[in-house]
Amino acid sequence: MKFTLSWLKNYVSLDGLTPDQLADRLTMLGLEVDAVQKLYEGLDGIVTAKVLSVARHPNADRLSLCEVEVGDEVVPVVCGAPNVRAGLITAIARPGVRLPDGHKIKKAKVRGEVSMGMLCSWRELGISVDHSGIMELDSGLASGLSLKEVLDLDDTMVEVDLTPNRSDCASVIGIAREVAGFTGQKITPPVAGISELDGSGIDFTVTIEEPELCPRYAARKLTGVVIKPSPWWLQRQLMAVGMRPINNIVDITNFVMLEYGQPLHAFDFQKLAGSSIIVRCPRDEETTFTTLDETERTLSPEMLMICDAERPVAVAGVMGGLDSEVTDATTEILLESACFNPVSIRRTARNLNLPSEASYRFERGVDPNGVPYAMKRAVQLMCEFAEAEVVAGGVDEYPGKKDLMQIDCRVQRVNELLGIDLTPDQTADYLRSIEFGVPGSASDVLRVTVPSFRMDIEREVDLVEEIARLVGYNEIPTSQPFIGMDYPRRDPLRVLRQESSAILTAQGFFEAINYSFVAEKHCDMLGLAEDDSRRQCVKLLNPLTEDQAVMRTMLLPGMLENIRRNINFQQTDIRLFEIGKVFSFVAEGVQPDERYQLCAVLSGARYPGASPLYFSDDRADIFDVKGAAQTLLQTLRIQGKSGEIRFAVEPDQAQPYADAACSLCIMDGDKLLGSLGKLSRSTARAFAVKQDVFFLELDLEAFLDLPRLEKTFHALPRFPSVKRDIALLVPENISAGELLQDILTHKIEHVVYADIFDVYSGKSIEEGMKSVALTVTYRSAEGTLDDETVDGFHKKIVDSLMSRFHGRYREGKK
Amino acid sequence: MENELQRLKAEAEKALQNITDKANLEEFRVTFLGRKGLLSSTMKQLGQVPKEDRPRLGQLANTIKKAVEDLFLDKKDAVESGAALTAEDVDLSLPGRSLPFGKLHPVTQVMEEICLVFEGMGFAVAEGPDVETDHYNFEALNIPKHHPARDMHDTFYVSESILLRTHTSPMQARIMENQEPPLRYIAPGKVYRCDSDITHTPMFVQVEGFLVDRKVSFADLKGVLSSFIHRMFKEDLPLRFRPSFFPFTEPSAEVDIACVICGGSGCRVCKRTGWIEILGAGLIDPEVLKMVGYDPDEFSGFAFGLGVERIAMLKYGIDDIRLYYENDLRFLDQF
Repeated sequence: MKFTLSWLKNYVSLDGLTPDQLADRLTMLGLEVDAVQKLYEGLDGIVTAKVLSVARHPNADRLSLCEVEVGDEVVPVVCGAPNVRAGLITAIARPGVRLPDGHKIKKAKVRGEVSMGMLCSWRELGISVDHSGIMELDSGLASGLSLKEVLDLDDTMVEVDLTPNRSDCASVIGIAREVAGFTGQKITPPVAGISELDGSGIDFTVTIEEPELCPRYAARKLTGVVIKPSPWWLQRQLMAVGMRPINNIVDITNFVMLEYGQPLHAFDFQKLAGSSIIVRCPRDEETTFTTLDETERTLSPEMLMICDAERPVAVAGVMGGLDSEVTDATTEILLESACFNPVSIRRTARNLNLPSEASYRFERGVDPNGVPYAMKRAVQLMCEFAEAEVVAGGVDEYPGKKDLMQIDCRVQRVNELLGIDLTPDQTADYLRSIEFGVPGSASDVLRVTVPSFRMDIEREVDLVEEIARLVGYNEIPTSQPFIGMDYPRRDPLRVLRQESSAILTAQGFFEAINYSFVAEKHCDMLGLAEDDSRRQCVKLLNPLTEDQAVMRTMLLPGMLENIRRNINFQQTDIRLFEIGKVFSFVAEGVQPDERYQLCAVLSGARYPGASPLYFSDDRADIFDVKGAAQTLLQTLRIQGKSGEIRFAVEPDQAQPYADAACSLCIMDGDKLLGSLGKLSRSTARAFAVKQDVFFLELDLEAFLDLPRLEKTFHALPRFPSVKRDIALLVPENISAGELLQDILTHKIEHVVYADIFDVYSGKSIEEGMKSVALTVTYRSAEGTLDDETVDGFHKKIVDSLMSRFHGRYREGKK
Repeated sequence: MENELQRLKAEAEKALQNITDKANLEEFRVTFLGRKGLLSSTMKQLGQVPKEDRPRLGQLANTIKKAVEDLFLDKKDAVESGAALTAEDVDLSLPGRSLPFGKLHPVTQVMEEICLVFEGMGFAVAEGPDVETDHYNFEALNIPKHHPARDMHDTFYVSESILLRTHTSPMQARIMENQEPPLRYIAPGKVYRCDSDITHTPMFVQVEGFLVDRKVSFADLKGVLSSFIHRMFKEDLPLRFRPSFFPFTEPSAEVDIACVICGGSGCRVCKRTGWIEILGAGLIDPEVLKMVGYDPDEFSGFAFGLGVERIAMLKYGIDDIRLYYENDLRFLDQF
């Protein structure tokens, strides 16, 4: 809602309030001021000028050489406007003046002739869009006067960001009421006293067929109308709040709508068939309607229409029709001031995708009791500025008439809810200041009568809010609630996410957050099979773009997009992870299954960002991502339900987007908990990533159901350990991990640690074989192990490995 | 003998001072501390001194031997380390050797900080579904169909009755319908609005919170939120509450803090008002309480909601909201 201070002053005094103070008071009353804008600021140097003579420019056909009087001076000016003529009073920008568009006027020679300034059009001064010629001002004006003063342009525009409940303030008078409230004034409305319109003595009829949708409809006829431009003051106010002046009749309906908040519509009376207005819904055959913006609209049966005897002439409360529009030829008009059902208007405006100033107000609620006042005001202005004569009498159908709302307000309740201590009298005074009715002697329960324009006030608690904002939110004290002390239980899933994030950041991964919606084509880019359940996406009905059209079923695609973006910006060494929800389709009309997953990706250098002085530029490989996964599981102390969680090659479960030769499944028995691996070349290509990418995907939420290894203390060993290494030659197809697993699973006595320390094939190793070196640590809790004993255990291990894996002993060392 | 011992000590000290290399050091050890060295030879004479002097002299001899040994070891350390490390040999200006360490996303960092403040005040953390029903997102919060307040929420729909939540406020109804007051909850989470420009992303993170009990007042709301803002930003930060409108609270408020960019003098960020809006709040509307079966005359409460990105922007001076979800490492590494 925009208004100017000059407009507001018509109804309430602003004496003693600067524009900023006014804005601050309104904001603190809940009418948040978005902008306070000084109008016509660039016009300070512009003055009136009188054209004394006009001659042809000797060197240019279209230019004139003028002598212009500016106060005591006469100056030469070159002008190109078609309407420049001797005797014209216009506006001049003299050398040194800067126009509103920033252009600075200089003394100039135009094709050899000196010009001491520029005669200006309305548009050049930013006052209106008129650029047909230079300004033509009142011929009685002297030259040399400030244009701003002459046109009364010293003004400020204020824009309020209205909340949906305050429809009453979608009008300058509504704002004035609020100002009157806090300044202790009464507003001075432009019209007062309305006469009853009973429908007699007129040559038209109004029928409301849908009283539920149209609680009030008033109409009057005006004749002898002369369509012409509105007076300057009216045009100026409309332009200042961002409306384009059209003609006097249309401008007046707009002006009164902004003044009273009551939308009005003027029909060309002669175009109304049968001289009648019927408020009804469209008939079956009435499927389209052309609105005055020359667009054909498709009607639906529940839309409320204003019709004449034959056909619709307006979409009620939204927009008028082209056929009955007021034109330059119009001489008789039917003026409508009416009220419509908010929900109906809202639906219609939505369905037609046609929000208008009128529908904005009707949707939020228009005071039916204001209908006749706005009508009277518009009639008055039309008589004055369109030479109209009003036909005596008119129609005012009011099927939705209701008594004013009365609400009991318990003063104690007000005080309890707000934490303040008002007396009944104080409470009553606050309410009276904004025109609420409260009987003279205040008691503990106030019987409050709500003015009809406050359609948002229906309950006691609504009055509590009114009192709160009148007291001032910042005047209400602060306190702390009295509530029992307790440390609430923590959500285990949230704790698991926090722990996992901490472990991953400690391993150099940065956290990413991606949109929950993604492109559906990701499924193809990943090469998911047609029957892959991850193709069952939840689709948005109204996505912003195709790239955000479905809810994600996995995290990886978003992270691959992140990798591409980072590489494009020369960040090629990447460790990212995301913990977020994925969404699986369940059924139409049912909420999807939401589940937290974890995804980490690695690409580029093994030690991103580390000093090249100390760290080689080794590329990350699958063992980096495997290690990250192992560290995560170990630190979380997650155990499988069936024992150890395994990292296994499972061709049946492998992901289609993983390199077949380089991927692992993370298994709890037969259950897939996640997977890791190298991204296949084809998928990397689909995401336009050229370097190797390694990924880890985990069904994080599944961890909640898995046992965690409890933290239990083990006594520190008192006796020394003994270390033995083994180096075996085994066939190349035997994996080193199997050898290690063999040692660990056989649980040979006193083995406390075993690991692989070298795998080698090539030179000096015979074809088809490889060398695997393992280290084993032995220790007893009962005493120091002697060499002989250890040799015994060690031999068992070596023998077992050799026989199981067809290995050969290569060398042993202590 | 006593003199002999003292003389040996002085001699050893003097000899040690001149030693600079390992060979001389070994020579010293053999001469003074060896099995046949000077100190041992002198101590062997203990047997010949009068019986009554023996304990005293024995003790003295041990003390002196220990002292010379200590001096020798100090010298040994100095000679050995001095050979390997002198200030010229090590360029201490080289960078430290650090292993890569990642960071949490700034939105997570700020969200955790917000949660921490409220958890400290005894609020529990609860999360709900991102894909919500129209009922919980709107109806249960007193926003019926065709209410103009729905204009404040540009909603993504999945079907007629299923949508992406436009706020985390649905958790109010979800929690209240299953529990009895007193209740203190915050609900952090992603929310969605179909709006995308320089100041809006279609997804953002919100923290909703509410407290319900007997006799909870607007003054309590002011107290709790003032504490939060002061802990979150800085202790003496000016703030103000002003009336606003939300369908699920009455009275409703918006809370502004003095602009953290310009300090209140007026800048582009605060639109020259000196104030920045950071959260919406209000007493829970009686309709909302009634819908979950609470008697609004018995229970009252307040609710509030805030945007995490906005707070992160104010705390860190981020000027483009779109950066949050591009996951550019140059951005993530700054926080």
